[in-house]
Amino acid sequence: MLTNLEQLDNGVVWRIPGGIHPPEQKHLSNQTAIGTLPLDEYYYVPVPQVGEQASMAVAVGDHVLKGQPLTHGLNQHHLPVHAPTSGVIKAIEPRPSNHASGLPVNTCVIQADGKDSWVDLQSASLETLSNDDIVARVQAAGVAGMGGAAFPSHIKLSPASDIELVIINAVECEPYITSDDRLMREHADKIISGMEIIHQVLTPQRIIVGIEDNKPEAADALRKALSASKLPAGVARVTVVPTKYPSGGEKQLIQLLTGKEVPSGAIPAQLGILVHNVGTCAAISDAVLQGKPLIERVVTVTGGNVAQPGNYWMPIGTRVDHVLKCCGFNPEADQKVIIGGPMMGYTLPLIQVPVIKGTNCVLVPSSAEMSVDAKELSCIRCTECAQACPASLLPQQLYWHSKSGDYDKASDYNLRDCIECGCCSYVCPSDIPLVEYFRVAKSAIRNANEEKLKSERAKQKFEAKQARLEEEKRQREAKAKEAAERRQSNMSGGDKDAIAAALARVQAKKAVSAATPEAGADRKDKVADAVARAKARKAAQAAQSDSPAPEQNQANDAQKDKVAAAIARAKARKAAMQSDNEAEVDTNQTSAASSQKDKVAAAIARAKAKKEALKQALQAEAPTDSDNKSADEAADTLEPKADDRQARIAAAVARAKAKKAAAKDAGVNDPKGQIPEQNSVDSIAQSDPGELSAEEAKKARVAAAVAKAKAKKAAQQAGDSKSTVEDTQAESAEPKPEVELTAEEAKKARVAAAIAKAKAKKAAQQAGEGQGSDAHMQKQPADVNSAEPDSNSEPADVKPEAEPSAEEAKKARVAAAIAKAKAKKAARQDGEAQRPDNAAPLNDERSEAMSPDTDQSEQAPAQSAEEIKKARIAAAIAKAKAKKAAKDAEDKE
Amino acid sequence: MAFKITSSPHVTKNSQTATVMQRVILCALPGLVVQCVYFGWGSLIQVLLAIAVALVAEAAVMKLRKRAVGVALGDYSAVLTALLLGIAIPPLAPWWVIVIGTLFAIVVVKHLYGGLGNNLFNPAMAAYVLLLIAYPVQMTTWVAPAPAAQYSPDLLASISQIFLPGSGDINLFRLGIDGTTMATPLDTMKTGLSMGLTSTEVLAKPLFDEGLSIGWFWVNMAYLAGGLVMLKLGAIRWQISTGMLAALFICSGIGFMMNPDTHGSPVFHLFSGATMLAAFFIATDPVTAATSNRGRLIFGALIGVLVYVIRQYGGYPDAVAFAVLLANLCAPLIDYYVRPRTYGHRSGN
Repeated sequence: MLTNLEQLDNGVVWRIPGGIHPPEQKHLSNQTAIGTLPLDEYYYVPVPQVGEQASMAVAVGDHVLKGQPLTHGLNQHHLPVHAPTSGVIKAIEPRPSNHASGLPVNTCVIQADGKDSWVDLQSASLETLSNDDIVARVQAAGVAGMGGAAFPSHIKLSPASDIELVIINAVECEPYITSDDRLMREHADKIISGMEIIHQVLTPQRIIVGIEDNKPEAADALRKALSASKLPAGVARVTVVPTKYPSGGEKQLIQLLTGKEVPSGAIPAQLGILVHNVGTCAAISDAVLQGKPLIERVVTVTGGNVAQPGNYWMPIGTRVDHVLKCCGFNPEADQKVIIGGPMMGYTLPLIQVPVIKGTNCVLVPSSAEMSVDAKELSCIRCTECAQACPASLLPQQLYWHSKSGDYDKASDYNLRDCIECGCCSYVCPSDIPLVEYFRVAKSAIRNANEEKLKSERAKQKFEAKQARLEEEKRQREAKAKEAAERRQSNMSGGDKDAIAAALARVQAKKAVSAATPEAGADRKDKVADAVARAKARKAAQAAQSDSPAPEQNQANDAQKDKVAAAIARAKARKAAMQSDNEAEVDTNQTSAASSQKDKVAAAIARAKAKKEALKQALQAEAPTDSDNKSADEAADTLEPKADDRQARIAAAVARAKAKKAAAKDAGVNDPKGQIPEQNSVDSIAQSDPGELSAEEAKKARVAAAVAKAKAKKAAQQAGDSKSTVEDTQAESAEPKPEVELTAEEAKKARVAAAIAKAKAKKAAQQAGEGQGSDAHMQKQPADVNSAEPDSNSEPADVKPEAEPSAEEAKKARVAAAIAKAKAKKAARQDGEAQRPDNAAPLNDERSEAMSPDTDQSEQAPAQSAEEIKKARIAAAIAKAKAKKAAKDAEDKE
Repeated sequence: MAFKITSSPHVTKNSQTATVMQRVILCALPGLVVQCVYFGWGSLIQVLLAIAVALVAEAAVMKLRKRAVGVALGDYSAVLTALLLGIAIPPLAPWWVIVIGTLFAIVVVKHLYGGLGNNLFNPAMAAYVLLLIAYPVQMTTWVAPAPAAQYSPDLLASISQIFLPGSGDINLFRLGIDGTTMATPLDTMKTGLSMGLTSTEVLAKPLFDEGLSIGWFWVNMAYLAGGLVMLKLGAIRWQISTGMLAALFICSGIGFMMNPDTHGSPVFHLFSGATMLAAFFIATDPVTAATSNRGRLIFGALIGVLVYVIRQYGGYPDAVAFAVLLANLCAPLIDYYVRPRTYGHRSGN
C-alpha cells in the first residue's frame, strides 16, 4: 500500500492547499519549563459515560486515592476516569461542562485531602506484555487522544485493518499553544517510549513524527531521543514541515507527509495510516510501563491577560478558575476565556469548569490580541476564503447557500468536508463569520438527517407493531378455532347425529318452502353438484393459467367456455325444473309477451356473455402446453359425466319450449322474425320436427337431446381443433383458421347460451310470478344447435318482437335496448381489435389479438365479418326452428 | 463574572474590503496620471465628477434602502466604479454623459441588483455600454494624444468643453499635427483595414510611433505597472489578468501570423485601447467574475477572446466593455461547472 516509503524516509514534504499564517504568539508560553500548580480544594471530574458505557465505582462519601478508577466499564468503548488526587467524593451530580455550551454534565466532585497519595501502580516491562495486555493497560489507564478530540486510544490501538504508517502529530499549528512543544523538549524519551509501544502493537512499516519548523528545540530533542531508542533502525524519523496553519489537522498532516488524501467520509486507518498526538504517546508510555492512569496533562496557560503564562501539569478535573487564579489572571471588560487556540478554540461562558483530557490550552487574551467585533459586510466574492481553505472548498458558495438555508446546495458543495479550521473566517475582508455559518448549516443538516432517521425508525416500529398485532390476532383466531374443533370432537356421537338431523330438517323445510317437490330437491342436488364441478374446473384452469404462453389462449378459452357452459347448463336445468313445475299448473295460460321478454333477456345475456368471454380470453394469459393439455383432459373427462344429466335438463327445456311455442302460435305471431329468417329455417330445423314424438314433452326432450348432442359435438370439435392447433403449432406454427373459427364460435355460443339460460330462468321466474307464463327457453335450442355465436345484431332482431302488452314488455324493451347497445359495443370492439393486427396485442380486447399466429390475425377481420353474418343466420335459424317446433307441437296436439 | 462568548476563529487577518478597494484605486492612479499627460485634464475632471455623483447616488440609494450609509460609502466600491468609468470615457465628453453613466452604474446596475456583492454586471462597464449606445458621438470623440496633436486642451479648455458643451469646437482637439482629425488607434486601425489599407500602412500614420500607439502605449504601460503592484499587494489574483492577456495575445498572434496585412499585431492589441485597464482593473472585479482559480482563468480567457473577436470582426473598435459584460453573464455558469476538487474527493463538483 505504501509506495512512497523512500519519500517518507527522505522526509519529502508535500504541499497542502490553502492555509494561513496567523501570528504565532508561542514565545509567550514556551520560554519556561512545565510547572505545577498548587493543589486545589475541589476537583471536578466529569464522568459523562456513566449510565451508558460505565457505572460508578465509587459512591458519595468514599475516600479515593490518586489514580483510583471512578468508573467501571461496561463495554469496549469505556474510557475509565480516575481520581486526580486523593480525597473524598463529595458529590456526583451534573455540573457545568468544559464546553462552549457549558451545559451540565455528570461530574464527580472530589474534595482533596491534600496528601495527594497514589494508589499502588503496577509497572511492567514491554517485553513481558502481549499486545492485548498493552491495549488493556492503555484502556485501564483511560488514555485518550490529547490533541483535543479525546478519542479513546485503546480503540485506535486495535484497528480493524493493518496499519502501515503511524504519524505522530507534533505539529501544534495553533497559535499560542506550546504544551506539546514543552512536552517534547522535556519528555522526548517518554514520547519515544510511547512510539515503541505503538510500534510493538501495530508493527507499522514507518513511524513518522511530523513537526513544524517553528519548534527546532523540540525536533532536536525528539531526534536525540529517537537515536537512543530501541526502535529498529530506519523505522522512525522526525520530519519537519513548514509552519502553516492548519498543518496539524489530521487530514492535512497526512497529506503533507504522504501526499495522500483521506477519502471523504473515511478514516485514515482505511489508508493504513494512524495518527497519534505526542501527548498521547507519552500517556501511553506512562500507562503501559508504569501503570499510571491519565490523570494529568500539560496545559498551556497564556494570553495577554495572564501574569505568568506558561505550561503546567494539571490534574484532570482542575477547575479553570483555579488555574487562572494561580497564573495571575487579570480580566478586562468583555474578557474571553478560550479553551484551545485562537483559531479553533471555544470560549467558556463559565470558568468553574474542569480541565479535561482534551484541554491543551487556556487562553485569556487581551482585547488587542483578538479581532475586534467587526460588523459583517457584504461578500464581495473576492474568494480569499477559497484560497485559504485547506480542504479546497468554495467557502463563499457555501456561505451563500448556508445563509439562505439552501442546505442541499451547501451539501452539494461538500459542506461536510469542512474541518472548521477557521481559515476562511480569518482571511475574510468583509468580516463574515463563515465558520459559524457552516456550523449552523452542518448542525441543521445533521438535525434533518436525525429527524429523517427518527421518523424512519418510528415507521419501522409502527410496522413491526402492526405485524405483531396481526400475528397475535391470527394466533388468537387459530386458537379459538382449535378450541371449537376440540369441543366438537368431544361431543358424543348422539349429539352429532342430533345436529345433523336438525340440519337436515332445516334443509328439508327449506326445500318444501321453495315449492319444489322431492324429486326437484334431488335434482337440485345434482345441479349443485354440476355447478360445483364446473367451478372446480374453472378454478383448476385459473390455477394453470399462471404461466403465460399466448398461443394457448384459445384452447384455454374453449375450456373456460366449457366450464361456463356446464354452469349454465346446470342453471338451466334448475330453471327447467321450475318451469316444469309451473308448466304443469298453467299450461294453457301462456303469454307471448313473456316469451318475447325472455328472448330479449336471452339476447342481453348473450351479449354479456360474449363480452365476458372476450374478457376472459384476455385475462387468461394462456397456460403452458402441458398445463393446457391437462386442462383439456380434465374437461374431456368431466364432459361425459354431465351428459346424461344435461340431457334431462335439455328435455325439460324442450318441454317448456314446446309448450310455450304452442301458446305463442295460438296467440301472437312474430311479425318480423319470420320473414328474413325463412330461407335458412328448413335446412337446419329439419332434424327437430323429425324427432318430435306424439307426446310433446317426450319429443321436446328428444329434440333437446339432439341439440345437446350437437352442442357437445361442437364443443368436441373445438377441443379437437385445439389439439390440432397445438400440434400444428409445434410443427409449422400455422393453424387452420376454419377449424379455429368454429371452435371459437362453439365456445362462444356455449358461454352465451349458458348465461342466456340463466337469465332466461330468472325472467321465467318473473314471468311465472306475474302472469304464470313459463315458456322461456326459446332461445336455447338455437344457441346450442347452431353452435354459432350469438351475433351482435341479434338483439336488434329481437327488439321488435317485444310486445308492449304487459309491464314486462316495457322492461323487455329497455333490456333489449341495453342489449343492443352492448352488442354494438361488442361489435365495435371486434372491429377495433381486428384492425391493429400485430400491434400491441395485449392492449386489445379481442382474443384474436392475443393470438401469436400472424395468419390467424390477418384473417381476423374476415372472420369477424363472417361471424356476424353467421351469427345472424344462426339467430334466424334458431328463431325459425323454435317456431317450427312450436307449430309441430301444435299440430300434434 | 460573565465572559464573552464568540465563535472561533477569535483572530482575523487585518484585511478589510475598504483596504482592498483603496489599493485598487491607488494602483489605478498612475494610469490616470499618464492619461492626463497625453489627453489633458479631461480624464481627471471626469473622474472627480464621477466620484462625486457616485457617492451622492450611493448615499441616496442606501438611505432609500434603509441601510447604513456610512458603511457603504466607507467601502470605496462606489468610488472605484466611478473612477473606472471616468477613466474609460472620452476626456472631453460633456458632463451629463458621465453623470448619466455614473447614476446608471450605481443605481441600476449595482443597487437594483442588491448592492455590493450581488450585482451581476460590472457597473462601470454596463454604464459604459449604455453611454456608448446612447451617445455614440460623444463617446467616440477622443482627443488626439498630446505629442501628435495640433492643439492640446489645457485645464480651462477641458473644463469648458466638459461643462459647457458646444462652447468651443471640440474637433479642434482632435486634429493631428498633419491637420487631419484623429481617432483612437483602434478606430484608426479598424477604419484603415476596412478601407483596404494594410496594417503596416495604418501603423505608418502619425498616430503611431514605430508601430506603437502614441500615448495609448504608455497609458497601457502605466496600468500594467499598477496591475503588477496590485498582484504584489495581493489585491487581485493573477488568473483573470493572465487569462485575458494570454488569450488576447494568442488570438491576435494567430491572426497576425495568418495574415499580417489585415490583422493587428499582438503588441498592438495588448497596448492599445483599454486592454491593460481591463485586464487588471475591470475584469478583476471579484463580484462579477468567476470565483475558482481555474474558473477565473477561463473567465479571463473568455474576455480576451471576445475582445479580439469584436475588435477584429465586430462593429466596434474596442470591445472591452462588451467582452466583460458577456463574460459576466458566463461567470455563474463557469462557477457551477468549474469547481476545485475538494480534499478527499476524486473530482470536482
